[in-house]
Amino acid sequence: MSSSGMVRGAHRSVWVLRGVLLAGAVLALFAGVPEGYDPPVALVVFVVVSATLSAFRPEHLSLAITMVAVVVWWAYAHDTEMPVAVLVAAAGLLATHVAGVVLAYGPPSLPVAPEVALLWTGRGILAWVAALVVWGVARTYTGHGTPAVFWLTGLAAALVGAVVAGAAVPMRGQGTRG
Amino acid sequence: MSDGPTRWHTTTSLGRALSVAGVGIVVALVAGRPGVVVVVAPLLVVAAMALLHKPTVEPEVFAMIGHRQLHEGQGTRVRLETRDMDDVEYLTRVMSPQPFVALNPAQGTVGQLVAPGDEILPIAVSPRRWGTRMLGAEKVALTTPWAGYRWGPVPFLAREVGVLPAVSHLRSGGEAPQPIGLIGGHRSRRDGNGTEFSSIRRFHAGDRLRRINWRVSLRQGDLHVESTRAEEDTAVLLIVDALADYGRSEGIGSSESSLDVTVRASAAIAEQYVAGGDRVSLRVLSPGGEYAGYGTGTRHLRRILILLSHIRPGVPRDVEIDQIDFRATAGTVVVVISPMLSEPLATATVRLVRRGLPVIVVDPLPAGSTPTVYPDADELVSDLAWRMRLLDRNHLLAQLSAFGCPVVPWNGPRTLEEVLRRLSRRNQLPRVSG
Repeated sequence: MSSSGMVRGAHRSVWVLRGVLLAGAVLALFAGVPEGYDPPVALVVFVVVSATLSAFRPEHLSLAITMVAVVVWWAYAHDTEMPVAVLVAAAGLLATHVAGVVLAYGPPSLPVAPEVALLWTGRGILAWVAALVVWGVARTYTGHGTPAVFWLTGLAAALVGAVVAGAAVPMRGQGTRG
Repeated sequence: MSDGPTRWHTTTSLGRALSVAGVGIVVALVAGRPGVVVVVAPLLVVAAMALLHKPTVEPEVFAMIGHRQLHEGQGTRVRLETRDMDDVEYLTRVMSPQPFVALNPAQGTVGQLVAPGDEILPIAVSPRRWGTRMLGAEKVALTTPWAGYRWGPVPFLAREVGVLPAVSHLRSGGEAPQPIGLIGGHRSRRDGNGTEFSSIRRFHAGDRLRRINWRVSLRQGDLHVESTRAEEDTAVLLIVDALADYGRSEGIGSSESSLDVTVRASAAIAEQYVAGGDRVSLRVLSPGGEYAGYGTGTRHLRRILILLSHIRPGVPRDVEIDQIDFRATAGTVVVVISPMLSEPLATATVRLVRRGLPVIVVDPLPAGSTPTVYPDADELVSDLAWRMRLLDRNHLLAQLSAFGCPVVPWNGPRTLEEVLRRLSRRNQLPRVSG
């Protein structure tokens, strides 16, 4: 290792972040194993290889494909139950995404400052709370005999609505400058 | 804000969060899998927060470099001045590495969280070799909170910075052998109004009374005065051989090529003599034919250093080296800085020696240096050819020494002192003429 913290062309902190990205994807894939949802070997190989490539090229489409593969696996393998494992999977997927975001800030030689790591850890925890809330709501309504599709549609509509509203709402100072 | 198209664009991170979350929700709705909504819910939050911070102001970024001219080994800072950074959370700077330019941080990458009023971290640059260097080529990217939008990366062009050879600021203890100027720091061969004792002689009309040595006058019965040596300046002609560059250059403080040694030695000698009040002239044997007439003072020294920094190695066009009139008048100290791998230059040097000028050859060829050869050249043949040239060179240097021209390897700013002392002593010895 060089004195400037560089290891094989990348800063040491970048290697850590690459590890987080890979571990997050693997964690999201394997979160259901304790409940008997073993992912097929081909999928594991695909996710590991794809996540590894994405760790080196965080702005590449491969990272999105990796995450979509994990999401589709969860849709395919799991039924309408709401196990705790989905919270773990959500955390893993979020960790992968956040690691990709921070890695995309600059080239591999750019060290990840502690304040940046702290900022995004906080944001990640805040975002994960949304999963917790949705999970809690879903668990609450599971035993009430309401068709799953109703509350599912409601939740999805609320989330999409929030996103659309966020995009449509005038931003700070819009129209006053420029 | 400029009226042109905005440089803000959405990041792949935002696209990824939206697409993965969208796919998740669609799949959850179609397949009736509520668990998938939980999995993608955090991504939706991240995407929503990123969209909420959509930028509205076009920032302005200007790059500024501290100095337009530096000495090799010196450093300066490339700063960024920014305006309208309200929407920016993170700034990334990436400076591309350039030959013979050291950066701090070493990789040339800087990233920082930006708050209003914060100073942008500068990148320090330090040219490691004389010449013209391109400094400050970088790309700057700005990112909004939650990394939804990015400005740039915007490239900033490099600026040309003249890098002068390093100077030592050492005052030489060597004296010129034949100073012939009006005033200066060198001890003259003739008596005059100086401070160094020369002799005690009889009083002549015009001698100053304060020069009378009363003790000797009383003993001898006649008035005697102490005479002193005059102090004069000298003219120094630097002949710089830039016909070729041998060896590998890695910048100041590391391995040097022959041209590195030549330029640095020329700068050091010029600086020493100009600081002593002497007149220095520079003649470079190169395609550019850099030339500075005799002059003195710091402005003249700077001109010489600038000329040295413009040197490109090569054979001069339209001029025969052994036919050059070097404009060296009587008493001029001629310093030829050359590895003496050119026979015409050796001939020209002998011509100067035969004119009775004190000529010193400074050998800048570093030990073990080799010339650059064509990649497809036979290594054995090129090695043999180089050894033969070195043998020729040794023969040439021996002949020059036999003609009375000392040859010294460059060994720092004090290289010339001992040689000049020897030359001065030799000039004070009686000669047989005829």
